[in-house]
This record gives sequence, structure tokens and C-alpha cells, in this order.
Amino acid sequence: MTRAVELLLNGLSLGCIDALIALGFVVVFKAARVVNFAHGSLLLLGAYVVGRYHDRLGFAGAVALSVAVTAAVAVLVGAVVLRRVRLADPGTLAILTLGVDIVLATELTRRIGTDLLSTGDPWGAGVVLLAGVHIAQTRIAAAGVAVLLVGAFLAALRFTDWGVALRASAERPATAALVGIRLGRVAATAWFLAGGLAAIAGLFFTAFPASGVTGTVGQAALGAAVPAAVLGGLDSTTGALVGGLAVGLTAAFAAGYQDELAFLGRGFGAVAPYVVMLLVLLVRPSGLFGRRDVTRV
Amino acid sequence: MSTTSAGRAGSAGHTAQVHGEPLLRVRDLHVSYAGAVRALHGVSLEVPGDGIVAVLGANGAGKTTLLRAVSGMLRLVGGAVTAGSVELGGVRLDRMNPAAVVRAGVVQVPEGRQVFEDLTVEENLRAGGLATPARSRRQNRDRVYETFPLLRERAAQRAGLLSGGEQQMLAIARALMASPRLLLLDEPSLGLAPRTVDRVAEAIAEIHRHGTAVVLVEQNAALALRLADTAYVLEVGRVALHGPSAQLTAAGQVRERYLGGTAPTGPPATPQPPPHRSGPDLVVDGISVHFGGVAALSAVSFTVVPGSVHALIGPNGAGKSTCLNVLTGVYRAAAGSVRYDGVELTTIAPHRIARLGVSRTFQNLALSASATVEENLLLGRHRLTRSGFFSAGLRLPAARAEHRRQQQRVAGVADLLELGPSLRRPVATLPYGVRKRVELARALCAEPTLLLLDEPVAGMTADESSRLAATVARISRELGISILLVEHDMGFVMGIADEVTVLDFGRCIARGGPAAVQRDPEVIRAYLGGGSS
Repeated sequence: MTRAVELLLNGLSLGCIDALIALGFVVVFKAARVVNFAHGSLLLLGAYVVGRYHDRLGFAGAVALSVAVTAAVAVLVGAVVLRRVRLADPGTLAILTLGVDIVLATELTRRIGTDLLSTGDPWGAGVVLLAGVHIAQTRIAAAGVAVLLVGAFLAALRFTDWGVALRASAERPATAALVGIRLGRVAATAWFLAGGLAAIAGLFFTAFPASGVTGTVGQAALGAAVPAAVLGGLDSTTGALVGGLAVGLTAAFAAGYQDELAFLGRGFGAVAPYVVMLLVLLVRPSGLFGRRDVTRV
Repeated sequence: MSTTSAGRAGSAGHTAQVHGEPLLRVRDLHVSYAGAVRALHGVSLEVPGDGIVAVLGANGAGKTTLLRAVSGMLRLVGGAVTAGSVELGGVRLDRMNPAAVVRAGVVQVPEGRQVFEDLTVEENLRAGGLATPARSRRQNRDRVYETFPLLRERAAQRAGLLSGGEQQMLAIARALMASPRLLLLDEPSLGLAPRTVDRVAEAIAEIHRHGTAVVLVEQNAALALRLADTAYVLEVGRVALHGPSAQLTAAGQVRERYLGGTAPTGPPATPQPPPHRSGPDLVVDGISVHFGGVAALSAVSFTVVPGSVHALIGPNGAGKSTCLNVLTGVYRAAAGSVRYDGVELTTIAPHRIARLGVSRTFQNLALSASATVEENLLLGRHRLTRSGFFSAGLRLPAARAEHRRQQQRVAGVADLLELGPSLRRPVATLPYGVRKRVELARALCAEPTLLLLDEPVAGMTADESSRLAATVARISRELGISILLVEHDMGFVMGIADEVTVLDFGRCIARGGPAAVQRDPEVIRAYLGGGSS
């Protein structure tokens, strides 16, 4: 029983990080109709900047720099991708982001080289005892930060001009343009936010109990974001949050019970979120909260 | 067709612009799509700062393209202005993007309302006001709520839950939030019930009284002419007529174009007994179709007698295409039956309907553009071709002999439709009017006993249209097949139909011979609206 509770809490905290990643993925899709496969590399970039500069700038300074750099690169990617081929079909744009992902990940892997980069966060390897189970301090911090960020994001989406513009242009881009909404700016803001969210998520994704910043972090993050976003519904922010939690929980339980699940083969934990995604798609082809008409991607 | 009272395009006789410089000036505008299809050929139009200008015309006349050129949407759909200009008070609009055009003071209410369904009514209005400075938004919103009190009541409701009429009000209100100097309305009455249309008309008149110029693009000629000071009638990308709307109404020219004047060219419409009664009856009995809560067709019945030409007409949104789609098995009817040759058509697969000898054309051409006319026509003979995959692929003697036979048949059909000289040309290189003939020829190649024609003259010039009318009459006479003609253009069907069924809002409102239907007050109301009979 204790193990189940421990896995539940770990899964939820992991799910909060996955939700942050998926949220960035979804907000870009909503605003720009781009399936952004470069999201994993953006996250790696965020983690790299923290890992490389926390010695010199202190943890807080490194995080601020990381958010700024990642958001700027995200806008650059968005502007380059968007401006060049704004009218291209979603498939072409998605493949373009794959190219960006490869370039960015390769360069970052080269820069990391053989260094062991840690995030240098103040929580370190601390563990607290909560309701009889052990849980890493970083995970509690991650859950808190995720709740704050998601809350702020949802409030902005609902109450600000930017939120109204984003929702309007996600639903009917041509009509949004006709009422004077600048689609390019809405999209650029979305890329900016996606970059910022990726940086924060990257920090927690690589902090303890994970093993630090390595070149494969981007792939792992994308591997969590894609099933989370797709099972929630690619264009739904609510879907991204629910999907993120579902993926986190699935991964935690599949890893926790891997001995019992050994008949499915080793490493089932990595595949489990995709199995859940496929099951959801069989019942709801647009994901849990997706609009029915945007799944042609 | 042109009297002296209303000048033709390019003539100097403007009476509407007595207040100096116009607000919007469209000068000799040429537009093409994807570098090939030409949609506008030299349209000139002026909107005075205090006027309402109506733009009328049939499907494919270029109304939507004209609006796109003004609102900056053209580039987003692959179109380009190849010559001419659009200016608002001397500023070029045709090089701006849509958001910049809105900021310049021109706002469009799109066709089909296009409200943001997931947003509340208030958020829709807020989205409309994003282009204006924050301080004027509240003032705009109060004024909009004054004009449309209903929207204030529904402010917190999701826009997707509003009725069609309410959504139209919201779409107009949303546009007003940007404080436009010029409001472009694209088919604001489309698909709305007559009473709702009156309310929309009142709203437009009130907006105009508050000092906003309006361009009204409409199929409902009566509504447009009642509201507008000046009207332009587009025909295949050109201004065919323009002048003060009172004069156009009085001269009956618009009415002539919509209802058909005296019988067009060809033999007088004395009903002749059909030559052969070869095929069976097509009996449509009480079919109803619903889309969600909207009744697209309610209990529609008619019979197509063998060898006759039966026309199914009605204004946009009347249910004509829905009816055709039921006949060909694309839509399922909620109730009623369609019987042809003793077979129920509503329950069998589309390819089996084709095997019964039913053949159709499509309004928006379903031809293979890169293939030649001959290849397209041979495809039409697919049902009658016996050679299999292997014998055709290996070019066995039997297959080659059959191919020659099929080519002869195709050549025969092509001659009937005057397509002989174009047989070897790719469809993409042919003008639109000729492609419509190819579409018709392909349907004939299947040797149908019943031919369904979906808006065969949409987008054709008056001249091409009367030539096609003669062709259809000849096909009916020479081949003795039954023809069901779905058409918006009433003039076209007058000379060739033996019987006419008129739909409006999914109901059958009149039937009978063409001359009787043309005089029917219900029909005149449906086409021209209440005010102009």
C-alpha cells in the first residue's frame, strides 16, 4: 500500500513537469498550427543554460537567463519557421521543426561533451517524508511551481486580451485576421511562452532524482510531451494538463511495478504512456478534450 | 438588356457620388488565383463615405474575390492582384495584410457569420475590439449593446449556442467594435428566415445612419436594392451593370437577370410531348433531411417523367444541393423515399446508383485537371468498360479493340457538345465555360437514362449560359434521356424545362410549367424578397 501511495505522489509530481512540457507544445499548436518537434531541444537548451551558468550567476540568475534565452530562441524558431513558409501545410511545418530539433540537439550535445552538468538547485538531493512516503524536495518544488505557472497561464488565457486573441485565432484564424487580430504576434507570443515553460520544465526534468543535463534529455522530454498532448487533444490546454498528469502517473506506476510487468519486457515504463495514448485515441480519436476538426495533422 | 437609365461599367454617368471623393475606390481590379484562374477582370467600383453600395451577382461572379481584395485576405488564399488598385481615402489597401486593413478602417463581416463559437458573446465582442485603442472599446461596446440589446442579455453565453440570426447580429456587432469607417457585409441574409432578415436589414440601416459606409454583398437582390443607394451587378468577374438602385429596380434589369425575362434564345417553350419515353420514372416522395436541429429538407416530393427536363430551383440555401445529394446517396434522408426503376436509392451505395443509369455533374467541377478531355471522358465510360487490369495493361488485342470502340463513342459525345477540337487538350488549359461542358460530356459518356445536373451554368456568362441551354435542350431531344436540373439561375431553366419544382427553406413552394412558376407570387417573394414585386 505504501508503495502505491509513494508511486502516486511521485507520479503526480512527475506529471506536473510533463504537464508543463505538454502545455508549451499545445500552446504553439493552438496559436500557430505547428506540431513543434523542436520542443524537446528547447527544453534541453533551458536545462543546459542553467547547468552551465549557475556557478557564475547563482541559481536564480541562471534560471532567469535560461528562461530569457530559451524563450528568445523559441521566438526565433517560430519566426523563421512561420515567416518563411506560413502557408505551407502542417505536415511540412512539423518536418521543419524536426530539422530544427536535430540541429539544436546536436549542437547542445557537442557543447555538453563529457561534462557532468547538474542544475545546482538549492534543494539538492533532499528528501522529505510525506504521509509515510519519501519524496524528493525538487519534486515538491516542481509541483508547486507548475501549479503556479499553470494557474497564471489559464488566468491569462481567460482574462487577458492576449488570451482572447489566442483563443479566437485558434478557432478561426481567417476570421480572427478579419477582425484585426495580428496572427503573427499572437503566434510569436505563444512561442515565447512555450520557450519559457520549456526552460522551467527543463530545470526540474534534469534535477534530482534525474541524473543531470545530458544530450538525450530533449528526446526524453519530447517522448513525454507528445503522448500527453495527443491524448489530451492537441489543441486543448486542459487536455495538456490532464494528459501530462496521466503520462506522469503511467510512467511512475509502470516503473514501480516493473517486476510484476516483467512479462511485457524490460523498459516497459518508457512505452506505457504511448499504450495509454493509443487506448484513448481508439475511443476518442481527437483526444480527451480536442476539437474534432483539428486532427487532420 | 441595358437601358439608358443605368450606365454600363466604365461609363461616366455617376449620380451617386455628389459628395466629392469616394471613401473606397476600386480601380480596374484584376485578380487571379494560383497565377492561373482569373477571377476578376477589370472591376471598378466606388463607395461614397455616406453610402450603402450593393454588390450583386450569381455564384462565381467574383463577389467574394472582390471582398478578399479589399479586406487583404486574398494572399492568404493564394490569390493576387495582377492589375488595378484598391484605395481607402487615397491609401492603398491591396498591399496590406488583413489586420492592417482593419486598422485602416475597413472591417468585414464574413459569409456564414463565423462567430468564435467557443468564446462567450462578450469575448467575441472583445476580440472584435482588439484593433482599437483600449479607451474607445467600452464606448463601442455600449453602443453595440444599444443597437443589439439581445447581445447584452446573452453576454456570458457561449456564441456557439446562439441561433443563426443571433450569430449574424453578433458577427455584425463584433465588426462594429473596431469602429469601422467602411463595413463589408458578405451575404448577411444567407440561410436566415425572412423575419430575421428584416431585423438584420434594420440593423444595417441603423449602422449606416450612425455614419458608417456599407458594402453589401448579397444574393437576395430585393434586400440589397432596398437598402443600397447604388448597386453593382457582377457577372463572371466584370461589372455587368451599375447605377442607382432605384433605377435598377425600376428598369427591371436585375429582376430580369434573376428571374429570367422573356424566354431566352431557342425555340418557344411550347410543351412538346417527349419523343421517347425510354427510362423509368424518378419518384421522390416526402424526403426530409436534418442537420442537427436545422431542417434542410422537409417532406419534398416530385416526379421526373421519362424523357422530360425537370428543373429544381430555389434561392441559395433552399435545399437544392441537399436534395441532389440524397438522390445520389451522399446524404441519408431522415424520412421519405426516392425510387428509380423500382429501386430505393436512399439506401444503396453511390456506385450502385450509377449502375442503374443515373449520372451526375458537379457544381464545382470534379474533373482531373492534368488529364486531357478525352481521358476524362473515357473515365466517364468506366462503368461500360469491360477490359480488366491485365488485359488492358498487356494491351491484348481484345482490349485494344475495345479501347478504339470507346474512343469512337467518346468522340461522338464530344461532337454533340461541340468539344471535338478540344479532345486532346489538358482540361487545365481550357476556359471555365468549356470545362463545364466537359463535365457534362463525362456524365453523358456513362450513357445514363437519368442525368442530374448540379448548377451547370454557375459562373458562366449570359452568352455561354444560353448556348448551354440550347445544348441541354438538344441532348434531351436527341437522346431522349430524363434530366433533373438543379439551378439557381431561373432564366436558364425557363426555356428548356418541361416542369419546375421550386424550393425555399427546404420546402416545396411551387411546381408546374415554367411560365406559371415564373408568375407565382410565392416564387417572386422567395427570389426577390417581399418589397419588390
